Amino acid sequence: MKPLLLRLEPVIWLLFGAGIMLGTILLPGYLLTMGLGVPLGVLPAEALSYERLHGMLSHPIGGLVFRLVALALIALPLWKAAHHLRSLSVDFDGHDRDGLVGGVLYLIALAGSVLGILAVIRL
Amino acid sequence: MSDVQKKKFVVTRFDPDKDEVPKTQEYTIPVRPDWKVLDALNYIKDEVDGTISHRWSCRMAVCGSCGMLVNGEPKLTCSTPLDEYGDEVHVAPLSNFPVIRDLVVDLEGFLDKFKSVKPWIVRAKEKAVEEGPCRQTPEELHAFKQFSMCINCMLCYAACPVVANVPEFLGPAAIALGHRYNLDSRDEGAAERNEVFRGEGTVYECSYANECSEVCPKNVDPAAAINQAKLLAVLDWMKSFVTPRRGGE
Amino acid sequence: MSRPVNPRAMAPARAGRTRTAAPSVPDRFWSAPRMRRYLLFDATGITYLLVGLSILRVVWALGSGPEAWQTVLRQFRSPAYLAFHALVLLSVVYVGVRFFGLFPKAQPPKIGPASPPPGPVLTAMLYAAWAGATLVLVLVLGGVLP
Repeated sequence: MKPLLLRLEPVIWLLFGAGIMLGTILLPGYLLTMGLGVPLGVLPAEALSYERLHGMLSHPIGGLVFRLVALALIALPLWKAAHHLRSLSVDFDGHDRDGLVGGVLYLIALAGSVLGILAVIRL
Repeated sequence: MSDVQKKKFVVTRFDPDKDEVPKTQEYTIPVRPDWKVLDALNYIKDEVDGTISHRWSCRMAVCGSCGMLVNGEPKLTCSTPLDEYGDEVHVAPLSNFPVIRDLVVDLEGFLDKFKSVKPWIVRAKEKAVEEGPCRQTPEELHAFKQFSMCINCMLCYAACPVVANVPEFLGPAAIALGHRYNLDSRDEGAAERNEVFRGEGTVYECSYANECSEVCPKNVDPAAAINQAKLLAVLDWMKSFVTPRRGGE
Repeated sequence: MSRPVNPRAMAPARAGRTRTAAPSVPDRFWSAPRMRRYLLFDATGITYLLVGLSILRVVWALGSGPEAWQTVLRQFRSPAYLAFHALVLLSVVYVGVRFFGLFPKAQPPKIGPASPPPGPVLTAMLYAAWAGATLVLVLVLGGVLP
């Protein structure tokens, strides 16, 4: 697994870079509305009603942007997470299992990204 | 001398002929307020216990010999004021290095890594003396000058969590120095160096803990160099899909 | 936590003439304040992993019909989810502050023919993008826009 990871390092690093940069930039907006604002009643419940969101999704450009942002919010944090948890594992567990640990973590991120693509396609 | 202050030094000792593993020994000595940590070690060696071994030379943070762990933190002992510490000071050899004796670590592993990045100007064809010097603008100098201030004290290696766990990792100072020559407008060796940089145990191993830059006594900022080299490696990888690789330059 | 230092760390290619003691790090190396901040930064991988999977479930529910969507909205009102989202928000802010601080110096002096903007400008741009994206998302998902 380790030689494969070594070959893939540039791709992994690009996905990680996108994750830590774009993921971090996009997440607060989601968390402040879907995660905290609406559930706490600070923001109106209708804002996230099924009808309103599907209204946005049916718009030709708005729907595309919605899907892209949704996919970014699913996939990018997973790649950031996989890469950081891999380096955390090296810090505490050493390098011997790096190939295995890294492989499993990136496969989780990959599976999540594929399911994310499916999830936004069936919206 | 009523103003004489005393401090206890807990010094790591290791005698390869007798000791299985390093142990500690305590020395309580009078210290002066203007002393550096190295002054105390020299006092112990001269006045208390001549068997203690430590490296030092210039006493002005230039030679890079006297790096040790002071209370767990990599420090140049010659430029670390004693009054920053309390009544008990722990002095140990640099972490992440094999220990030869007491506070003296084995440099050979570092020198192997250091040499592998070709830390000199590589030219495809040597410029003849008659052609004059290789000129450089202030901007071209500025691009790499910071990374050339390294004194090879190895504090960054002692601080780096990746060096601790990945023996193949080239490490902060070596990558910073290689990157310094890659950025030098007179140099033509980037392709050779990048082969070393981008194989196993290289720029991608860095997890950007930034510890190397935190402990660097010369503000070289190796973490910046490594991550710049990483970004350039990724850009070159992306470019390799657009333009076919040029060989034998 | 099997071993804090690889025994081959900084070992020379050829063994020296005398026996050496194995490399070590101070006990509790992870408790030094700077090291703790770095490890915490990496440990935010846990919150990012959980929130990524959670958003996958949210988007999946949005595609599964009004009942599934209502279930998600109802569950998100529970104290456990509110605490989770607050924790994720904290970790995201922590990651942003540390990463946007480290980002500018990782830019080479020249990327191809272009020079990246000076560090403070780059940091300001990152924070502007962060604030801008947050504002737009809050306005859109909060029902103000469009």
